Amino acid sequence: MEYDLILARSVTYAQRMQRALNRAGIRSQLFRAPRDLTDLGCAYVVRISPYDLGAALPILRREGLGPLRIYVQRGGDIQEMGL
Amino acid sequence: MIYLDSAATTFQKPPAVGRAMTEALASMSSPGRGGHPLAMRAADTAFRCRTELAELFGLDGPEGVAFTLNATHALNIAIKSLVPPGGRVVISGYEHNAVTRPLTALKAKVSAAGGPLFDQEAAIRAFDELIAPGVDVVICNHVSNVFGFVQPVEKVAALCRSRGVPLIVDASQSAGILPINMKSLGAAYIAMPGHKGLYGPQGTGVLLCGDGQIPRPLLEGGTGSISLSQEMPDFLPDRIEAGTHNMPGIAGLLAGIRFVRRQGTQAILRHEHALTCRTAESLRRLPGVEVFAHPGCLAQAGVVSFRVPGRDVETVGEALARRGIAVRAGLHCAPLAHRTAGTLDTGTVRVSFSAFNTPQEADRLAEAVGDILRR
Repeated sequence: MEYDLILARSVTYAQRMQRALNRAGIRSQLFRAPRDLTDLGCAYVVRISPYDLGAALPILRREGLGPLRIYVQRGGDIQEMGL
Repeated sequence: MIYLDSAATTFQKPPAVGRAMTEALASMSSPGRGGHPLAMRAADTAFRCRTELAELFGLDGPEGVAFTLNATHALNIAIKSLVPPGGRVVISGYEHNAVTRPLTALKAKVSAAGGPLFDQEAAIRAFDELIAPGVDVVICNHVSNVFGFVQPVEKVAALCRSRGVPLIVDASQSAGILPINMKSLGAAYIAMPGHKGLYGPQGTGVLLCGDGQIPRPLLEGGTGSISLSQEMPDFLPDRIEAGTHNMPGIAGLLAGIRFVRRQGTQAILRHEHALTCRTAESLRRLPGVEVFAHPGCLAQAGVVSFRVPGRDVETVGEALARRGIAVRAGLHCAPLAHRTAGTLDTGTVRVSFSAFNTPQEADRLAEAVGDILRR
């Protein structure tokens, strides 16, 4: 399975992202961020389907939740996506 | 016990508050401290509480809502973020020690905008004269905890905006009762307890942070975010929420806020105002009782003070307690308010209401005071 992970600097920001996405009908899940994703440690990710990323990004930016760091998770492999 | 000390804390809570606290103890750990269900349930409750507070008080987003221990804690963060040591501060003439003691510790040069009780025009004239170039901050309590005097905080906010001076509002007695909107006030910070008009438990408070504010933390420590950095996060609410959250308190506060929103702040104000007027009128009919209330209780919320010349206010308070009525006597941690009103030498007996009080309870108070006077 492939997912896109949107990095959030705190649980509150991750929750704001999730709420904004939910309002737009985009399903998401909230998780602790894998250690490799965070330069400074302890963050959260909002996981969405890659099919929803195009719709999700403008919604999150409109909510003032940028700048965004997005990762592609494919199995155990996670790569940052250039935006 | 007839409880008429809600300006200190609302003792009677909606039953949902206790249930929410019990549920939190059984099902929540710490928000932002893990990805397991107990932590995520706590995070969800904290987020809902922030969101409902943001909606109630007109903030753009929940991250501007920080949890504190009480209003004093919130005020200390706000004051120590904006007032430099020795800074110039204009405050109302009715501030609590939660404002004046931190200012004293900072050796601030403080000017008090005084004026007669219940005279909003005089209050705004006093602020107008004092808010001059060089003033670092204005601090205004919305409702006096001693007299229930509703200060013209919207007009004070307009003066501050026009003169570019940040405003801190102490909403300790108004949150959950009077309309408060961060966006329209344009305040830097609004501080409030969770355990008074919001009907949460003791040990809860809230600091609402205005746009662009980066408060100075009073405490440094773990936040569950950017843990490798030895600096506190520069984003809210984490910046001022070091350490484990009071989750039972936050869950209870959320239940309290939902009660307030269901009742409606206007209905609660109308109820408390009616009890205040009824009490003021009843007490005035008693010979020798000096009641601090405007005729019609204009510019007054759910608090009324009185004193009986020749009788110690503490003695009157004790006599009422013996008759099963809880009030607060003395200076109410607000000597400045008493100085402004001319009651510093005696203090007052304060009666304060909540949504749970009844007209019968207000009448019982007046009867009990009458009984005390006859002895």
